[in-house]
Amino acid sequence: MIVPFGHVLMVAGIIFALGVFCAVVRRNLIMIVLGIEIMLNAVSIAFVAAALRWNNLEGQTFVLFILAVAATEVSVGLAIIVYAFRRTGSFDPSNFNLLR
Amino acid sequence: MVGSPVDAATLTALVPATMLPFVAFLLTFIFTRRFPRFSAGLSIGSIAVSLVCSLALLGLNLKMTGPMQYSVRLLASSGLDIPFGFLLDRLNLLMIVVVSAVCFLVQVYSLGYMAGDPGFSRYYSFMSLFAWAMLNLTLSPTILQLYVFWELVGLSSYLLIGFWYEKFSATQAGKKAFVMTRAGDAAFFIGFLLLFLHTGNLSILDLNGRAVSAALPPSVLTLSALLIFGGIVGKSAQFPLLTWLPDAMEGPTPVSALLHSATMVAAGVYLFARLFPFFSMSPAAMEVFLAIGTISMILASTMAIVSRDIKKVWAYSTISQLGFMIMALGAGGYFAGIFHLTAHAGFKSLLFLCSGVFIHRYGTNDVYELGRLGSRRMIVPTVSIIVGAAALSGFPPFSGYFSKEAIMGSLAELPNPAWLAAGLAGVFLTAYYSFRLIFILLLPRAWEAGPPAPISTARPPTREAGGPNSQSPHAGAETGHESHYWVMAWPLIILTAITVILGFFAGPVKDFLQAGITAGGTAEGGAFAWSHVAALGLAVAGAVLAWLEFGRSGAKQIGFVERIPPLYRLFAERWYIDHFYRLLVNLVVDRGISYLCYQNDNKVIDASIDELSEGTIEGGRIVAFLQSGMIQYRLLVIFAVMVLLSIYFFFQVI
Repeated sequence: MIVPFGHVLMVAGIIFALGVFCAVVRRNLIMIVLGIEIMLNAVSIAFVAAALRWNNLEGQTFVLFILAVAATEVSVGLAIIVYAFRRTGSFDPSNFNLLR
Repeated sequence: MVGSPVDAATLTALVPATMLPFVAFLLTFIFTRRFPRFSAGLSIGSIAVSLVCSLALLGLNLKMTGPMQYSVRLLASSGLDIPFGFLLDRLNLLMIVVVSAVCFLVQVYSLGYMAGDPGFSRYYSFMSLFAWAMLNLTLSPTILQLYVFWELVGLSSYLLIGFWYEKFSATQAGKKAFVMTRAGDAAFFIGFLLLFLHTGNLSILDLNGRAVSAALPPSVLTLSALLIFGGIVGKSAQFPLLTWLPDAMEGPTPVSALLHSATMVAAGVYLFARLFPFFSMSPAAMEVFLAIGTISMILASTMAIVSRDIKKVWAYSTISQLGFMIMALGAGGYFAGIFHLTAHAGFKSLLFLCSGVFIHRYGTNDVYELGRLGSRRMIVPTVSIIVGAAALSGFPPFSGYFSKEAIMGSLAELPNPAWLAAGLAGVFLTAYYSFRLIFILLLPRAWEAGPPAPISTARPPTREAGGPNSQSPHAGAETGHESHYWVMAWPLIILTAITVILGFFAGPVKDFLQAGITAGGTAEGGAFAWSHVAALGLAVAGAVLAWLEFGRSGAKQIGFVERIPPLYRLFAERWYIDHFYRLLVNLVVDRGISYLCYQNDNKVIDASIDELSEGTIEGGRIVAFLQSGMIQYRLLVIFAVMVLLSIYFFFQVI
């Protein structure tokens, strides 16, 4: 393994933190979903690196599952967002507080 | 001291005598309300059987040696036994005969008086309830059982006073009677609970025996005697609680005759006689009883001499005669009190029933008006009312003479002559108010000369206008009236006969009762002749004064009291006792207790609930600040928690 495992984990951690930041800070539903996707990708990188590190294919299998889940999530999530936009005309999450 | 067991023949007479009226009550109350004639038949039939059984009992036990007791255990818990049964001795043998006889006569009379009333069946069912409760009250072997029936008698009194419940004053009077007697009964209840705590026994025979009561400390004895006497004061309408009885005259007249003169109010005196040996163990309490009897007697007589309402005159007179009985018993004259009770039951129900005939015929209670309408033309009730009034005033040869004579005899034996003087004054007043009424009825004056203009505070004569039978008192079918008249007249004739002859049985009754009483201190004989002469003389003087003021031609029919307006007002307003109660209720109940309760309700209960709910709302509002509805804050919190948790576990693992 050319790149040390620790460095890969570091990159994954940074990307995860960026995802968290995006999901929490941005006042836009699409960007929140995007942030969640970025967090999923960071986890995927960590899984792939771990699979290489221990010569075990289970990590790569997990990544395939994560990709499937992420695709589903994006399609369903975007559909909800589009519907919500049609209802309210806004992407701002602070407008969606009916259950408050 | 335990009574001997009851033999089979007596028991077979006792059970129907006491149970049949109850059966009649249930049947008439539940099933036969639509069939008035049938209800009346049931009720009268059951009370007739009771009367026959009572007479049979009297006949069977004329020579009884001691009290007989039959009881079954009704309730038992640890160390507590509540028996239920019969106690039979000479006193209540006499009493059940009186009660069932008066009940029977009054129920027959009511056939005429209440005819056509929509509540006819209801009336008879309540009368049966009363008959049952009263008979059982007289036969109770324990104070507890007596108390149960005592309350039932009070209940039937309430129901019958408020019988014409469409009339507001009737329901008010019923409530007043109920509440005032209940005040006395509360004292009674506390009194016998006190006895029970100290002796563990409420059997009347045991309490009357020396052993149990001698074990009581004298203070407890006196206190419980006084408290039990509170019940007597309430039931017999004695001094502090006497104003309910005149108001109770709102009920139908036969009810007044039966409950509020002859039997129910006499239950108080009966209780006194029942526990006479027990009471006589406390001389201090006896002194109080004597005083209360005297005060009630004098007060009620003065009220009677100014009343224009014929029923109220008899009601006041009932109070004063009950006062006489209590005086007699308080003075130690056991026989005098009981005999006066018996005689009074006869002549007072007679007086009420006669008044009932007049009221039924003419639809008014006002004496002057009755006289003017010509009540003297009805021969039977007029003769009967004169006989009754003569007996009430204590003229020989009627029953009242003999009983009054016995009472004066026992009062004369007291060391303090004041009691005798009060008794003699009572005799004078009794004769005066009785004959005042008789002369007004017999010798009416035309309106012009007529009665004094009622002083503004005088109560207007109350008509029994709510009574459905007064819908057409004059216009009713004359034949129907005639038959009602005779149905009502026969009981009058019988009662008149009883009143005339009862006096001659004073001796046998005295022997019969004297043998029954065992405790000492009831020395009777050696009555002073001069007190009898004085009583008779004063009675004649009262009647003569009444003649001078109301009877003789040219008399203005204005009593000597009416010439003194302040005195008249005092008497007509019942010595302001009702005003005093009104004031007391205002001050203590309305402004005191109920005000406190109202404040408690408002300021404590309501306020705390308001505070609680407002606090909840405020708390919710405060908590709601934490909940902004922003999904991102939640995410942030989730991340923060996860980070902290992972740091925690990281270091913990290390």
